[in-house]
Amino acid sequence: MASHVDNHDHYHPPGLQHQFEDMGQQQESVSIGMWMFLAQEIMFFGGLFLVYLVFRAWYPMAFAAGSNSLDPFWGGLNTLVLIVSSVTMALAVYYAQKSNRMMQVVMIVLTMLFGTVFLGVKAVEYTGKYNKGLVPVAGLNKRTPIGETAVASPPTVLPFEVAVSAAGDDGKPYVNPKGVFQWTDVSLAVKADEKGYLTDSERQAYFTNGEIDPNKFRDKVQAFYWIYFTMTGLHALHMVIGLGLMGWLGVKAWMGTYSAEYFSPVEMSGLYWHFVDIVWIFLFPLLYLLGRHFLAVH
Amino acid sequence: MGDNHSDSHIGIPGYLFVFGILVVGTIFTYFSSFWDLDSYFAGANTLLALAIASTKTAFVVLYFMHVKWQSNLIWLTVVSSFFWLGIMFAFTMQDYLTRSFIGK
Repeated sequence: MASHVDNHDHYHPPGLQHQFEDMGQQQESVSIGMWMFLAQEIMFFGGLFLVYLVFRAWYPMAFAAGSNSLDPFWGGLNTLVLIVSSVTMALAVYYAQKSNRMMQVVMIVLTMLFGTVFLGVKAVEYTGKYNKGLVPVAGLNKRTPIGETAVASPPTVLPFEVAVSAAGDDGKPYVNPKGVFQWTDVSLAVKADEKGYLTDSERQAYFTNGEIDPNKFRDKVQAFYWIYFTMTGLHALHMVIGLGLMGWLGVKAWMGTYSAEYFSPVEMSGLYWHFVDIVWIFLFPLLYLLGRHFLAVH
Repeated sequence: MGDNHSDSHIGIPGYLFVFGILVVGTIFTYFSSFWDLDSYFAGANTLLALAIASTKTAFVVLYFMHVKWQSNLIWLTVVSSFFWLGIMFAFTMQDYLTRSFIGK
């Protein structure tokens, strides 16, 4: 690149790379490249959604029970936080296009702020799962030796909501010397069985000799929690990468790199940020809300 | 330069309007999850939730991600990525959802 001599006589826009004819061609090439990357990201998360779909089709009641032990208050709050961060991101691109350096930096900083709030809420949720023994990996939960009991924090219950029993909240003390996945509540499966909701294959999966087997049911709820932690964890990783991107972008914007003539990096980072928002738009109802309507019925 | 890219597209009021739609969609998702729609047919609750999520996604993709103003080539890229996703789902589920048919 050092040998490249710009000997064009005509005006040369500040961000134009030498292999492109003009800014329009460069912009479209950059956009297609970014959308190709997002296409593979869609397939990547799509594979995870497919795993979710297959397992949920097999064990719908275990998934509903697991989902009801998540706290939709935090999930809903995070959805709103991400939507606000998407607006500030869109406005960052808007102000870059207007060559407004100051507002650009403000919007990027706000986007980072809301992204950090999202990760903070996620940390609160993960801590709750750790304290209740809901992390699906043995040894990664809070260890409480026999003879000691720990009090699990109850979920946030809004005035119009029905309180949900989760693992540790069903009257039994939390004793977990080896930090394994804990689940004792089979009430949803019992009720579903009474109502005749259970399919034959589901009965096979939960029952031993005609009785609901709490161990078998726990394993299916554990599958839900594997999927919950994998999907939200990879989503959170994308958020961390997005925050790194925003930090770099904020510095460059502060230095006055972007203007009406050259703002592709702001726009492309925005595409990534919006994509991560879209993933959460689907994760929120599919993970947090899928079993709520069973609470109203029973 | 085929597109008028440096235009601000829908401007600040437009972005705030899309924001309003997304917030309403989120609140609607939350409260509709309490309705027992599954008594009409199995999976109706999930279907409604996915319909709302898809609508929200359409607004984000079209307006926040500026696809509404992009060239045909980018439209093709976006649409085909969702099409591939559909292929993956359809081909996998045509297996898993029909296994219980065997022997009946």
